[in-house]
Amino acid sequence: MPIVVIGLSHHSSPVTVRERFAFTETIIPEALQKIRALGIADEAVILSTCNRVEIYASTNLKERETSVALQNFLLNHHNFQDQLNGEIYSFGEPKSLEHLFKVACGLDSMVLGETEILGQLKKAYELALQHKHTGSRLNKAFQKAFNVAKHIRTETNIQRGSVSVGSVAVELAEKIFNKLSDRQVMVIGAGETSEKTARALLSRGAHSIIVSNRSHERAVALAAELDGRAVHFDEWANEFSKIDIVISSTAAPHYVLDRAKLEPMMKLRKNRSLLLIDIAVPRDIEPEVNFLENVYLYNIDDLQAIADDYLKQRTSEIVRCENIISEKVRGLFPISKSSEFAGDSDSIVAASL
Amino acid sequence: MVWLTDKTSFAIAVLFYGISMVYSVFLWRKGFRQDNRVNYTLLLIAAIFHTTAMFKRGFSLERCPVNNLFEATMFVTWTMVAAYLVLGIWSRLRFLGAFASPILFAIGVFALMPRLDVRGPEPEFGGGLSSLHATLILLSYGAFGLSSIAGIMYVTQEHDLKFHKLRAVFSRLPPMERLEKVMNRLLLSGFILLTIGLAQSPFLLKQKYNVYFTNDPKLIWSVIVWAIYLALLLMHGRFAQSGRRFAWGAIGSFAFVLLTFWGVNLLSPAHN
Repeated sequence: MPIVVIGLSHHSSPVTVRERFAFTETIIPEALQKIRALGIADEAVILSTCNRVEIYASTNLKERETSVALQNFLLNHHNFQDQLNGEIYSFGEPKSLEHLFKVACGLDSMVLGETEILGQLKKAYELALQHKHTGSRLNKAFQKAFNVAKHIRTETNIQRGSVSVGSVAVELAEKIFNKLSDRQVMVIGAGETSEKTARALLSRGAHSIIVSNRSHERAVALAAELDGRAVHFDEWANEFSKIDIVISSTAAPHYVLDRAKLEPMMKLRKNRSLLLIDIAVPRDIEPEVNFLENVYLYNIDDLQAIADDYLKQRTSEIVRCENIISEKVRGLFPISKSSEFAGDSDSIVAASL
Repeated sequence: MVWLTDKTSFAIAVLFYGISMVYSVFLWRKGFRQDNRVNYTLLLIAAIFHTTAMFKRGFSLERCPVNNLFEATMFVTWTMVAAYLVLGIWSRLRFLGAFASPILFAIGVFALMPRLDVRGPEPEFGGGLSSLHATLILLSYGAFGLSSIAGIMYVTQEHDLKFHKLRAVFSRLPPMERLEKVMNRLLLSGFILLTIGLAQSPFLLKQKYNVYFTNDPKLIWSVIVWAIYLALLLMHGRFAQSGRRFAWGAIGSFAFVLLTFWGVNLLSPAHN
C-alpha cells in the first residue's frame, strides 16, 4: 500500500487559489470519511494550513489512480471549476515520504526551518488518528516524520537565525516606524502564528498588545500571556485609532477589514502609518486597502518573497537535511515498484481534466 | 599649481560628483546593501576640490564668495556636501551619498554654465550685513536641498514598501518615520535661516535705495519661496498632511528653487 500525497502549497499556487481549497478543522473528519468511503484510500490525513493543503493517503490502488481520484475529490469538494495550471502536485513513494519528512522539518515551509508546521502536522495527524482514519502505514510514516524532524533540528543548523513570519513582520515594522517602543499592536484572531508575530514585536520593544478574537476567553488568555489587553471582537474597530500594527489571522470566510471600513478610520488616525500583516487564509484584509495612503498591507505570500532571501543563505543546510531525509526514507519502507510517476504532477493534472 | 584655478578646482569636484552619481546607480540597483565607503571617498575627494575652489575664490576676492550665481551655487552645494560628510561619519548613514550625488552633480553642472560667473564691478551691497544676508539664505537653500534628498529617500522607501519590493527590507535606508522627522527638521531649519536672511533685506534696501521694499524680481521670488515653505510646514504640522505628500512637497519646492533661482537672479537688478 503505497503512500501518495496530493495538494497545493505556497510553492505551487498563490493564496487566491489556496484559500479556495482550505479545509476547516471541523470539516476534516467528514472529508477523511468521504475519501475512505469513496474507496480512494484506506488511510488518510488532511493537512490544511495557511501555506498548504495536502492529503496524505495510503491505498491499495495504483498511485496514479489514487492521485487522479484525490484531485477530483479536492476539486469536487470545493466546487472548484476554474482551469488549473499545475497548481496541484502529487507524489508517489518514495517522494511522498521525502515530501512528508521535508514538511515536518520545515524544509518545505515558506520560512525555512520554521517549527510551526511540525505542530500543525502533528495536529492534523492526531485528528485523523482520533477519528480512526489512519492505519499502520500512515502511523509509521508520520511517527518517523516527527522523529526525523527532531533529529534534524538537533543535528543541523536549519533553524538557526530569525526565519519566521514574526521576524519578517518585525523587519517590515522597523522599516516604517522610527522605533517600536511607542507602538501599539493589535492581534485580530488569536492563532499560533499571530501570537508568535506579536511576541516577536514585543521582544523588539513594541509598546503594548491588544487582542481581539471571536472567542473572547481565548483573547483574554492570550492578552494575559502577552501582558496586553483583550477587547471583544465586535469592538476592535473602536481601538483602531491607537493602533500602528495589525496582525490578522481569523478563520473568517470573508474580509474582516475592507477599504470602506478602513478609509474613515484612517482619518481618525491623522494619517499615521499603519502596517497590516494578514496571515489568514482566506485573507482577512481586502487587498485594495493597500491603495490607501500610509497603509502597508502584507499578506502571507508577500512575506514569502522576503523569506526566500533567507532561504538562499541556508542552501548548504538544506543539502545536509535532504541527505538525512533520504537516508531515513530508505530505511522506512521497501521502495514500491509502482512509483512510476513519482513527482510528475503535470501528468496527473492532464489525466484528470 | 597655477593651472588649478578656482574654476578648474570646482570642475574637478563636479567630475567627482558625476563619478559618484554613476557609482550610486549600482548602489541603488543593489538595494544599498553594499558598503558605501567608495561613494563616501568619492564625495570626500570632490569636497576637497570644492573647498579648495571656495578658498581660492574667497582669498582672491577677500570676502565670502557669494557675489554671483556661480559663487552662490558653489556655496549651496558646498553646504550640502559638507553636511553629508559629517553625517557619513556614521557608516549607517553613508548611503545618503547615493541620493546626494545626483543633486550635487546636477547643480554643479548648472554652476559651470557660462555667464553665471560674471566678475562685474564691486557689488552694490557690501559689509557684514550683506554677507550675513547672503550666507544665511544660501545655507537655507542647502537645508532645503538636504530635505529634498531625505524626501527622495522617503518616496523610494515608501514605494518599495507599498509595492512589496524586497529591497525595502534589505536596504540600509532608515525608517520612513525617521526620514519624515529629518525632512521636517531640515525644512524648519531652512525656513528659520531663510526668514532671518530675508528679514535683513529691508535694512539693506534702506541703506542703498532708501526704501524698505522694491518690486525687484528676486525679492518677490524670495517671498514666494518663503510662502511655499511656510505652507509646506503648516500643512504637515497643523493639518497632518501625509508623509508622502510632504516628501513630494519638499522635492517639488526645491526643484522649483533650482529651476528658477538662476533666471530670477539674472532678472534682478539688486542681485545681479
